[in-house]
Amino acid sequence: MDLLEYQAKELFREMDIPVLPSQRIDRPTDLKGLKIPYPVVLKSQVRAGGRGKAGGVKFVENTIDAVAAAQTIFHLPIVGEYPEVLLAEAKYNADREFYLAVVLDAGARRPILLGSKIGGIDAEAVMEQMQLVVVDGEFSPFYARRLALKMGLEGNLIQAVSDILEKMYQLFVQKDLDLVEINPLGVSATGEVMALDGKVTANDDAIARHPDLVKLVTKTSNRPQMTSSIAQSSRTTEEKAAEGDFPMLTLHPARDGNIGVLCNGAGLLLTTLDLIYLAGGKPASFLNIGEAILQAWTPTVLCDRLERGLELITRDKNVEVLLINLHCHATAGDRMAAVIAEYWQKRASKARLPNDFKMILRLVSSEFSRAQESLKDCPVTIVENLEQAIHQTMGLVKSKA
Amino acid sequence: MNFDPDTKVLVQGIVEPLGSVHAALMKEYGTNIVAGVSPGYGGQEIHGIPVFDLVEQAIPVMGAIDTSIIFVPPYQLLDAALEAIAAGIRQIIIVTTGIPPLDMVQLVRQAEATDTLVVGPNCPGIIVPGKIMLGTHPGHLYLPGSVGVISCTGTLTYEIAYELTQAGIGQSIVVGMGSDAIVGSSFSQWLQMLDEDEHTEAIVIVGETGGNGAEENAAHYIAEAIDKPAIAYLAGQHTPQEKRRGHAATLIASKLSVKEGLTETDDWGAERKIQAFKQHKIPLADRPSTLVKLVKKALSAKKK
Repeated sequence: MDLLEYQAKELFREMDIPVLPSQRIDRPTDLKGLKIPYPVVLKSQVRAGGRGKAGGVKFVENTIDAVAAAQTIFHLPIVGEYPEVLLAEAKYNADREFYLAVVLDAGARRPILLGSKIGGIDAEAVMEQMQLVVVDGEFSPFYARRLALKMGLEGNLIQAVSDILEKMYQLFVQKDLDLVEINPLGVSATGEVMALDGKVTANDDAIARHPDLVKLVTKTSNRPQMTSSIAQSSRTTEEKAAEGDFPMLTLHPARDGNIGVLCNGAGLLLTTLDLIYLAGGKPASFLNIGEAILQAWTPTVLCDRLERGLELITRDKNVEVLLINLHCHATAGDRMAAVIAEYWQKRASKARLPNDFKMILRLVSSEFSRAQESLKDCPVTIVENLEQAIHQTMGLVKSKA
Repeated sequence: MNFDPDTKVLVQGIVEPLGSVHAALMKEYGTNIVAGVSPGYGGQEIHGIPVFDLVEQAIPVMGAIDTSIIFVPPYQLLDAALEAIAAGIRQIIIVTTGIPPLDMVQLVRQAEATDTLVVGPNCPGIIVPGKIMLGTHPGHLYLPGSVGVISCTGTLTYEIAYELTQAGIGQSIVVGMGSDAIVGSSFSQWLQMLDEDEHTEAIVIVGETGGNGAEENAAHYIAEAIDKPAIAYLAGQHTPQEKRRGHAATLIASKLSVKEGLTETDDWGAERKIQAFKQHKIPLADRPSTLVKLVKKALSAKKK
């Protein structure tokens, strides 16, 4: 979950990372009660990058200009996102700008410290000077000093920058973050440092054990959808599943095709899609109902996800043939088949049918014959071999054409 | 690597729904499960397996334990794994999903310091067909033989094993490493182990075109250090992919705002991965049935 700049700065303030005096602006008229002396910077609070170039950052000298600028920024979408709030912040005269970040590196399987002597929005220039230190063992400040030296810093700046990095690292670990970034870190002519812009990404798996982060993000959000998505991510997989709410069920309305694909497992889904493309077919929507290995897993839960998935994918009017590819192990395959049989019964009892489509079930399960038995009265072709299922699917697509 | 049928196995989180179901299935497959651990359930029995409150209580009763398989909820995982290491267990398999990556960093540091093999999290685990099953592999799909399979996918691992078995190609070992951002053991570690394993004649790598750079690194490692024939299958070679798939293994570093101006897409470049295998002349399949053919070819070439 990405935090907004002003939320990130609230965390910086808690860690004693220096930030400028600032004020949250919920509506343009708030600027009449501004407590920060002019000139100030107004910044659009959106998650997307590149807001400066897009016109989401403006310098203003007085209230009249500020209100007008705020109105403009509130109505300016950046990568499709409108700001809910703005941040009004004191202007800072930086002599130099650095880039600093703490991030987890999958290759090293360790957090890494990143720093560049060039900060700001010219990504190529920043990257060119980028230095890296892997935090191999337990963190100690020498890792931060090591990076400061690699960056080519001298004198008092070594300690000043290391102190900031140390606090960033503490924040990173305390709050289970994926990323803490300060860009730019302003350096004044006297060698004072200041976090001018910051980015914090919380880890979605860890968020449920950080109620303070959830609170920080929810207390300021007026948008119901935002609040619900945060509430969503602040619950464990277990709680979500218990409530019959399966966040992994994201339907991908894929392409301009006519074949729906439903699988359990991301890799299996990719393989199935590959085979459809190779056979000259085109997917319409596709859906991964998740592996059976969920913490809250019980056979019932996977059945519920299949039921919900069927409902979702058959809403797509473009689906003429639905291919379901399941590996049901320990989750009795016959129970999954029963879910499909129930689906057809429900359909039959409805006076007005939704869109008409054909179904192919490819099932790998020790319960295969029992599954076959329970589906014998349904218009479902059930096969065990994957290539054969693809062949049958393509046959149905062609017969409908 | 010690995966003999007599290796002693412990299940942590045996009273969890998943732990209980799979403990029974592993036992049924012939795995020597000597104990379970779930705090508060000490003294009970599940599927005829004695349950203890602490790992260290099981050892005086059962003798030294080789492997622990962990099913505890995600926020209890780090503690459970450290408890197993402290009790002298040197092989750990983590089935649990949804573990905070920084917990894995702590675990990986401790595992390296103690020379402990960690597989997972969020993984099917290990199966040596006909001998031992450690995790959630559907045993009936596997066949004893000489092909080692290393995969970073979930149900697709079962699919590949099933396809090999259907074609009469047996497996010496199948390892599902998991696909989270931080995993306990990597392609290169397993490639090295299977290269030294006397029961393995050929090695199959199963991965995806999306996600992180794990498969690409595997290709370079095979070229550098592996003597046995290796064959790869990557899912997703014909599927146009969105920026981020629903896999935890998205490249975290791509979150850096500074990179936004540099990279057009977040896609690690399916092309780059495919090129890595081609460059080193490692046979690469684009569908499971082709993989089966390439494996057969590699095995018959070895016999000559």
